[in-house]
Amino acid sequence: MDEALQIITNIIHDLPGGKEMGLLNFIIKRLLLMILVLFGVLCIVFVIANVIPADPIGALLGGNAPPEVVDQYKHKLGLDKPLAQRFVDYIAGVLRWDLGVSLRTNNPVTEDIRKFFPATLELAIMATLISVSLGIWLGTASAVNRNKGVDHFARIFSILGVSMPVFWTGLLLLLIFYYKLGWLPGPGRLDIFIFPPKTVTGLILIDSIIEGNWTAFWNGLQHLIMPAFVLGYGGTASIARITRASMLDCLRQDYVRTAKAKGLNKRLVIKRHALRNALIPTVTIIGLTFGSLLEGAVLTETVFSWPGLGRYITNGYLVLDYPAIMGGTLYIALIYSIANLIVDILYAFLDPRMRV
Amino acid sequence: MKKLLFLMVVVLLLVALVNPVMAKSRVPKDTLVIAANTGILISLDPAVVYEVLGAVIVNGLYDKLVDYGVENGTLVPQPELAEKWEISSDGKVFTFYLRKGVKFASGNPVTADDVVFSFKRHAFIESPSVWLLHELGIDKTNVEEKVKKIDDYTVQISNDKGLAPNIFLGILTNSFGSIVDKKVALQHEKNGDFGKDWLTDHSAGAGPYVLASWERNSRVVMRANPNYWGEKPKLKTIIFLDVPESTNQRLLVEKGDADVAWNLEAQHFIEIQGNPDIQAVMLPGQANEYLAMNCSWGPLKDPKVRLAIKYAIDYDEIINDIMQGLALKVQGFIPKGYFGYVPDNPFSQNIEKAKQLLTEAGYPDGFEVELLTNDSDTRKNEAVKVQADLAKVGIKANIVIMKASQMYSKYRKQGHQIIIAGWGIDYADPDALAKPFADYKAHQLAWRNVWYDDYAAELAEKAAFELDSKKRAEIYKELTHYWFENGPFAMFYQTVSYWAVRKEVKGWEDAFYGYSMRVDWTKLYK
Repeated sequence: MDEALQIITNIIHDLPGGKEMGLLNFIIKRLLLMILVLFGVLCIVFVIANVIPADPIGALLGGNAPPEVVDQYKHKLGLDKPLAQRFVDYIAGVLRWDLGVSLRTNNPVTEDIRKFFPATLELAIMATLISVSLGIWLGTASAVNRNKGVDHFARIFSILGVSMPVFWTGLLLLLIFYYKLGWLPGPGRLDIFIFPPKTVTGLILIDSIIEGNWTAFWNGLQHLIMPAFVLGYGGTASIARITRASMLDCLRQDYVRTAKAKGLNKRLVIKRHALRNALIPTVTIIGLTFGSLLEGAVLTETVFSWPGLGRYITNGYLVLDYPAIMGGTLYIALIYSIANLIVDILYAFLDPRMRV
Repeated sequence: MKKLLFLMVVVLLLVALVNPVMAKSRVPKDTLVIAANTGILISLDPAVVYEVLGAVIVNGLYDKLVDYGVENGTLVPQPELAEKWEISSDGKVFTFYLRKGVKFASGNPVTADDVVFSFKRHAFIESPSVWLLHELGIDKTNVEEKVKKIDDYTVQISNDKGLAPNIFLGILTNSFGSIVDKKVALQHEKNGDFGKDWLTDHSAGAGPYVLASWERNSRVVMRANPNYWGEKPKLKTIIFLDVPESTNQRLLVEKGDADVAWNLEAQHFIEIQGNPDIQAVMLPGQANEYLAMNCSWGPLKDPKVRLAIKYAIDYDEIINDIMQGLALKVQGFIPKGYFGYVPDNPFSQNIEKAKQLLTEAGYPDGFEVELLTNDSDTRKNEAVKVQADLAKVGIKANIVIMKASQMYSKYRKQGHQIIIAGWGIDYADPDALAKPFADYKAHQLAWRNVWYDDYAAELAEKAAFELDSKKRAEIYKELTHYWFENGPFAMFYQTVSYWAVRKEVKGWEDAFYGYSMRVDWTKLYK
């Protein structure tokens, strides 16, 4: 991958005015690299989906189907064509943003993604908000109170976050906060008898604001809390740990000591002098976290009956619906790459040293 | 002070957690909420639907010419939109007389045109269920001549193959036999698709309910059809809530936010039986679990070896330990509740007899064999149990676990040695089992196991065309006994369907007896 980056760098440098392009140069370089990465993902996904010894038609038709019907369906879906031909067809389709037709739902995969992605996006955004705010707060608190009770608590909390499986945490929280205490609603995006807002963006919170439907907004928000927390918990842990380390580093710096020495309020020193500088590494991890939240959604969505892309891909796996699996994976890779691109650009914008 | 506060919060939380939850149902009296895994739904078009849950919903949205009813515990085809029918003396033409004055949910009358249209669209759409129509000798090339309108309220369907009436009518009770409102379907037709795209998530039937909405992976809502011709449905709204996790289904039902848990795991079902707010309903299922032996492979060619294996298995332990009692001991291929059911269960573990049979066949020290199954927990446990049983007679079975689709792919190519698998039944007639299990010419299970037995095949076919039901039952009895002795199958059990239903819901057993073949939504009330 480094070699590819070097080649791209050289090409851009050779362009007229390439050396002076700075930020733009960097963005183009990252974009080209992103395309390469996506092509790689596409190849891997296609090969894995088509080479493993399984029979999607058999899964689709079930154990009862006679062999003739299986052959007929293979032909109908073009699965009897040679692998190379299928690969070329698939690439040609992807270039036209045509990811094929799902074997299970019979809809174009792009249409299915459009339908299911907003639920995942809403969950991932909320989870990111939770993990960023909680992670930074915990990280700062434990760095400031190093080796005290708060620090120990934050560390144990973080370790639990990365080590407890999502489905277990999810079920446990449902058992406590929904079943036993009744403080939060059960699985799903809204209560059964709450009328959902008209779909504009597909994000329930936004749509209910547009419609002015505050009952749905409040209910939707309550439904989001548990899955978003469960999904964001793992992220919280890594953000807290990175923030803690970088904060400890900053607190040792001379300028912090100077600020303290000149008699500034402790809170002000931590917030303005230390935290701001400590957050630079945290920005990188937030981009990565957002991407991993999209992946992690697969399990969370199953536990919380969340009608998102994760559930769509899981259901696809169960019946070997290759177009859905390949399309869904490619789409998540695309979003992941875009999120990272944005973070890199932000980073380069904030820190000119990165543009080199 | 802080510590004291913290301690109080902890104590309060513990008290709240330890207290049992006694929840009243929070669902309105005229509504039924079913927590189910709706992720498996593909389409609610009756010409396309083929999964059990989809068929159950479609059953509420559409009526058919005939549908199964229950007579003395047996599923029998009964009049639905057709008030009666006549069979020509040679058994080859069925004339159906439609009820007059029956309306679709749209208000359009149900006529012979709609019946002809419904069969035609199924033949042309060619979904996976189309083979059932082919069983009747009808396909897209001949549907117009085989399904004919005589007048507005009379339809004739040819039975050129001469299938026994119970088979012919049984096949018509499948989802594809639902009568679709021709006018509504054609209003929404796109590129000659017979309205298939629109009917995926809309309904145009004459059933007790109409489809109000289907939000994928979220919920399916059915509302009572005000134009329904039959007994009016007592529940106004039925909601299938998508809850894929068994644990969550259980929590919702116990909490009173749902009335029914549809896909509970066995362990949850057993545990929920102690809750006084819940009824644990169990009914015979429409599937069989079996072990099958490939008759073209090594020692399994010898019928004595196959019989020895049947005697080596401990069937009771499979039912009581692995299935935790949630299965019926049925060793023949005809399930309980079907016409022709043979109540004999000749096999139980008899190691001495098995060893003696192996010695007679020339394998006193046993042999090594591959035991194939798929990766479901139940099947894996069954495979381990069988492996242990076979070891007792000296047979060393090596278990191979595959994904179901991969396993069936190997099975269809006759590539297995011994396999543990299941069979879901397509219509409630012994023919739906005799053909796959005994007639190799049907290219199904007998064929996959290379059991090319002409006598068994002949009996299965003869029974299919026997119009006298007494004689027909005799043939199945003879076939079952022959199959016990010679066939390559050891039938473990017939499955059981089970649900956790809140006490407030009445009539579940009536409504769901014959589940997957027959559901009568009008029987439910609160």
